[in-house]
Amino acid sequence: MSYDICIIGSGAGASPVAYTLSNAGAKVLVLEKGPWLTENEFYKDELAISLRDAYNPNLNDEQHVIEDQYENDNGDLFWQGEATSESGSTFWNGTVVGGSSNFMSGYFHRLKPVDFRLKSEFGAIDGANVADWPISYNDLEPYYAMVDKHVGVSGKHVEHPFAEPHSTDFDYPPLVEHPVAEWIDKTATKLGVHSIPIPRAVLSQPAMGRRSCEYSGYCSNYGCSSGAKGSGRAALLNHAVAGGNCTIKPESKVYKIETDNQGKISGVLYYDRQNRKHKVTAKYYVVACQAIETSRLLLTSKGVKFPNGLANNSGQVGKNLIFSAGGTGKGDFVFDQMSKQQVDELTRVGPFLNRSLQDWYQINDKAFNNDTSNAKAKGGTIDFLFYQNPVSRAYGTQRDDEGGLVWGEQLKLNLKKEFTTYKTLRFEVFNDWLPTDDCFVTLDDKITDKWGDPVAKVRIGFHPHDLKVGEYIATKGEEFLTAMGATNVSSGVSGSPPPNLQAGGCRFGNDPKTSVLNKYCQAHEVDNLFVTDGSFMPTGGSVPYTYTIYANAFRVGEYIKQRWQDNR
Amino acid sequence: MQSFFHKHYKTPTWLKEKPWFNANSSRRNFLKSAAGAVAIAATPLPLLAESLSKSLDKPLTKPLTKEIQWQTESIWQTLNAVLNHLLPVSATGPSATDIQALQYLHNVVTQQPTSEAEVTFIKKGVGWLNGYSQSQLNKLFIDLNFDQKEMILRGISKSQAGENWISTLLSYIFEAMLTPAIYGGNPNHIGEKWLNHQAGFPLPAAGTRYYELPGAYRISDKITPQDIKSSDIIPTKVIKVKRNSKA
Repeated sequence: MSYDICIIGSGAGASPVAYTLSNAGAKVLVLEKGPWLTENEFYKDELAISLRDAYNPNLNDEQHVIEDQYENDNGDLFWQGEATSESGSTFWNGTVVGGSSNFMSGYFHRLKPVDFRLKSEFGAIDGANVADWPISYNDLEPYYAMVDKHVGVSGKHVEHPFAEPHSTDFDYPPLVEHPVAEWIDKTATKLGVHSIPIPRAVLSQPAMGRRSCEYSGYCSNYGCSSGAKGSGRAALLNHAVAGGNCTIKPESKVYKIETDNQGKISGVLYYDRQNRKHKVTAKYYVVACQAIETSRLLLTSKGVKFPNGLANNSGQVGKNLIFSAGGTGKGDFVFDQMSKQQVDELTRVGPFLNRSLQDWYQINDKAFNNDTSNAKAKGGTIDFLFYQNPVSRAYGTQRDDEGGLVWGEQLKLNLKKEFTTYKTLRFEVFNDWLPTDDCFVTLDDKITDKWGDPVAKVRIGFHPHDLKVGEYIATKGEEFLTAMGATNVSSGVSGSPPPNLQAGGCRFGNDPKTSVLNKYCQAHEVDNLFVTDGSFMPTGGSVPYTYTIYANAFRVGEYIKQRWQDNR
Repeated sequence: MQSFFHKHYKTPTWLKEKPWFNANSSRRNFLKSAAGAVAIAATPLPLLAESLSKSLDKPLTKPLTKEIQWQTESIWQTLNAVLNHLLPVSATGPSATDIQALQYLHNVVTQQPTSEAEVTFIKKGVGWLNGYSQSQLNKLFIDLNFDQKEMILRGISKSQAGENWISTLLSYIFEAMLTPAIYGGNPNHIGEKWLNHQAGFPLPAAGTRYYELPGAYRISDKITPQDIKSSDIIPTKVIKVKRNSKA
């Protein structure tokens, strides 16, 4: 059977396209490598979500090779790859229908207008491939509003120095807030900064056939059993399928997009669960496998007209991969230094903390650059959060201060102290991961997946500027926690990328020599090929990516719909 | 390899990949001496049949393919004794028996897709422990009093393999204490109640444990060339007691 639209992947970049096109009457096929789970298969089970990583492939079957930089005895730097089956550090983020959006925290900050013109606003940085976007915030704003409505974003828009314009307020009121949110608000007032309620892609009210949040206190990266979390599956694909025009084929691993001698796509090749090969054709093809796997698929899809991979005669596919820079920080609140009411408030479980600071989204501080030549720089976001996973927390109790193993009565004392005498408030710093020539995707020439196809090799170099910005903001976070009365305050900023926040690799732009996609995320070289996950982003902004990926996919979906309707 | 003290032992890759291993790796330069043991009354050893009966009451939805290897009563008796020494009976909190650590460990080795390399390591460790116990005190571990057990465990913890073995069992004590009861431990939320930790909801039930979810076939327990590195290989011959094995 031939379809109007064939979409490879089913997450935040894929589901808005499937939703938009199937609602318009197009026959849509979604090919997803993972199984099709529902609310009935998501539990608050730490074994499933983190200790055993049950929603991702076994790394012996499917993996990545991660290239990091090392220094030898002579002080020479070199890049060395390590297979993730060896390191155990997975780069998979949710291999199920709906993709990683099932496991997002749903912190939905929009990009700011300056994020669309980073180079123009802040200038070039040596060693970084910063580029302005070919669209503006105003181009994307209506689609952010579309996400608010259809994915379901709960929140309240507030003004602050770096607030972005909103055409509408959020469609759903804020979620019930944790008492500590008020502590943060009071501290912010005291310090003269702005405590911002974080919009969350979690329904505060039943809507669109989904239940509202049930406040288990375990939201974070756990799959949602109520349907409140706005995954691409719960929010969009379920409706697309119910409308009768969308077919989802789970456990279907696409291994090549085939092209003919003229360079036109002749079909998509995939394996089913029994490893049988299939081919499917469509009028339009959309790739949205998350940034690394999207680049890998295009690089694997060689043809007569594309000897270096599909849409890659410019050599740009896989280049300028980005993650989210920054780090984390924390501070402890010790119970015996607090009133009973404060302890009761601090230990409450269920409501959402939902607070962030964006006062340093742009830095204008001579202390940032020791010289006075350029005090202005792009900064970032601080999000506050609590951490639940108890087993992971317990792991730290099995050693004493000297690193020796502890057991018996001392272990019991350590456990009791860890869980019942204090609570840790954490923060995460998000700032731009500058695109560089040291962060990209290629194909590994030795390691293959279980089907025999080359795996992605990912070089994960970072720009030193990222650390400088991250440390500046983390210091602000530490100062904030200290002002709140926290003890043992600390933070850590590193160049190690968070695998779940990946973008770039197929950046969009107006010049086919320096970009893979045009401003509609359509391949410069292939008329009916679109890429709608985070791959398109030339720069990532200083917030988590999912909200923007959703909004852009709605925007591209509208463009494809128009073309499909015009050519029917 | 016939003891915890084999000079060529290297921490295997599967163990380095454990989340708890990385969580503690920055503090693992020191090994604690055997001194400073806390005197706690030894736990009466429950009979194996009693100990396992609770876990076997639970429906088993997966064939116990590894069960045959684990029928040796002495292995379970020894593991039970070790677990109850690591988390003993005392007024300060639940013991390994209270949290059903042995039942949880039974689930780990017979139902969860634990790698054969790890299961073998746990099993071999029992033999090495008894070998060391025999060499030092001429008794099996389960026949020792509290102070003797402490001495033997401190002794093996001075070896890398011994430390890894104890650390593995500690990690499963934490899991038994704080994971959903359907996996065998934490009956009536006993561990969570003790630590004032509120579990999330809903929790998995029989048929929805992580290895029973659709697509869980991907959590493969098959041995592939990449599962075992040459440095990991442990001989599978019968364990012999070596009296002169020392740290």
